[in-house]
Amino acid sequence: MRTEVGSFERLEVWRDGHVGWLVFDRPEAGNALDAVMFRELEHAWLALDADPDVRVIVNTGNGPAFQTGLDMVQVAKDKEALRAVSRQTRDFELRFTAWQVGVRKPVIAAVNGVCAGGGLHFVADADIVIASSDATFTDPHVSVGQVSAFETIALIRRSPMEPVLRMAFTGRHERMTAPRAHQLGLCSEVVDPPEGLREAAAALAEKIARNSPTAMAVTKKALWEALERDLTDACAAGAKDLAIMWGHPDQEEGPEAFAEKREAAWTPLDHALLQAAEETQS
Amino acid sequence: MSYGSYETLIVERQGHVGWLIFNRPEQLNAMNNTMRDELADAWLELDRDPEVRVIVHTGNGRAFQTGVDVMEIATDGVGFERYRDSMEHFDVHFTAWHQQVWKPVITAVNGICAGGAFHWVADADIVIAASDAQFFDPHVSVGQVVAIEAIGLIRRMPAEAVMRMAFVGKYERMTAQRAYELGMISQIVDPPEQLREEAQKLAELIARNSPTAMRHTKKALWGALEAGLTDACKNGAKHLVDMWGHPDQEEGPAAFAEKRDANWAPLSPSESRARPNRSSGSDAPAG
Repeated sequence: MRTEVGSFERLEVWRDGHVGWLVFDRPEAGNALDAVMFRELEHAWLALDADPDVRVIVNTGNGPAFQTGLDMVQVAKDKEALRAVSRQTRDFELRFTAWQVGVRKPVIAAVNGVCAGGGLHFVADADIVIASSDATFTDPHVSVGQVSAFETIALIRRSPMEPVLRMAFTGRHERMTAPRAHQLGLCSEVVDPPEGLREAAAALAEKIARNSPTAMAVTKKALWEALERDLTDACAAGAKDLAIMWGHPDQEEGPEAFAEKREAAWTPLDHALLQAAEETQS
Repeated sequence: MSYGSYETLIVERQGHVGWLIFNRPEQLNAMNNTMRDELADAWLELDRDPEVRVIVHTGNGRAFQTGVDVMEIATDGVGFERYRDSMEHFDVHFTAWHQQVWKPVITAVNGICAGGAFHWVADADIVIAASDAQFFDPHVSVGQVVAIEAIGLIRRMPAEAVMRMAFVGKYERMTAQRAYELGMISQIVDPPEQLREEAQKLAELIARNSPTAMRHTKKALWGALEAGLTDACKNGAKHLVDMWGHPDQEEGPAAFAEKRDANWAPLSPSESRARPNRSSGSDAPAG
């Protein structure tokens, strides 16, 4: 059962059961971000994050490419968009990935083909990454006289650094394959044949949707914030996140459901608790 | 541009590729005082040479490198005390990172890589290895602490493998295959004799990219190891913006559209370095 979530020109956004889908829909241009998609992404992420029936989000692309980054030629034609991109880049206030807009639900990137340059944002900022067996990863920035920074900075926190530096410096002259990305832990599953990608992503998302939404949101917060801190500080902050969940109804429901061999009936995502968790850290 | 003469190193250029080669094969390329001093100069010479866009670092003989020259330590009466001052102040100058070289550096591990040799694995951008290369860290087996090299490594690869090497010491060796699986290296060259040829090829591919964009990218990514994620991205934004308006940003897309290699602007002279070079009187160990 597919229920549309909002209406977009360059994206397809819907919910199926507890799984929200955000699909790049500019297949004729490698799903490159034009001015319209650039604006729409923020709204799409926030709509899925706000939808109480969505527990987990899958991000993928229509057509042969996953994402190929900013379409600078197209963006340059829209003066307002060009100013926005320039200003948001300069100030690092970009708002087109789940991490950038503060999505609290688990996000799975399902890489369905080439993922190039700025497309790596959506890999670096996802929680879980899976890929079709024909997916490839490449960072052509320095081959066209551009600096590679945000995507690769985030990637070196979640992958061995050497392969990221190699990707940054070989530019468009080399591509990493999906099996190599899997070996390195950049993705956790390679789907073969490639046509099975969405089915595999849905199956994974449905497993995740069986877990406590609130516990997952606090877990996500603790783990991403740990990337901002040194080890001991990150653990001290994480300890507060652990404690804030104590006494929450999901902590009784979980063991009871387990004992009774039934699915847990979780409470909806607890916004008040998340708000309190934010405040304990500040 | 011709390079200075070196006793323990070979420093040369092939096209846009600078080569820095350890040349004490009988001592398994162990670092003595002379080599330590020469390394500081060699990195800076290659960094200064405008023809060099990428640097490859490897060794002559059956070892890549095996740390400090223990014979020298044991026989000249000074021992490890020679390194105390520079190490206490972490004022060392024998790797590309120590010397703030912002051109891409490829380490090509040609054989045994032991102990202090990991400095040049940890401080390189890209690492490739001959299929018969072996990696191990014997520090604790000879009563030494390992710190700097392993600290660098656990930021760039899974920590367990680094801890295992640190504690098993000389009693186990990691193969090139395992190093590849872990993402410590990105390429295994087989047969091993082709290592330099493959390194030159990889370097030439990298030399086709914008030298200035690569310099800023390298600064952004190594700088990111010093900060939290958000701060690192904010600092990275400065490097992105520094490139805006640079002629390479027009040349890149133009060359792409015309299906030709880009004609990049040369690097502007390097900014002054954050750290003084060895003329400030550094004494440094490789392990």
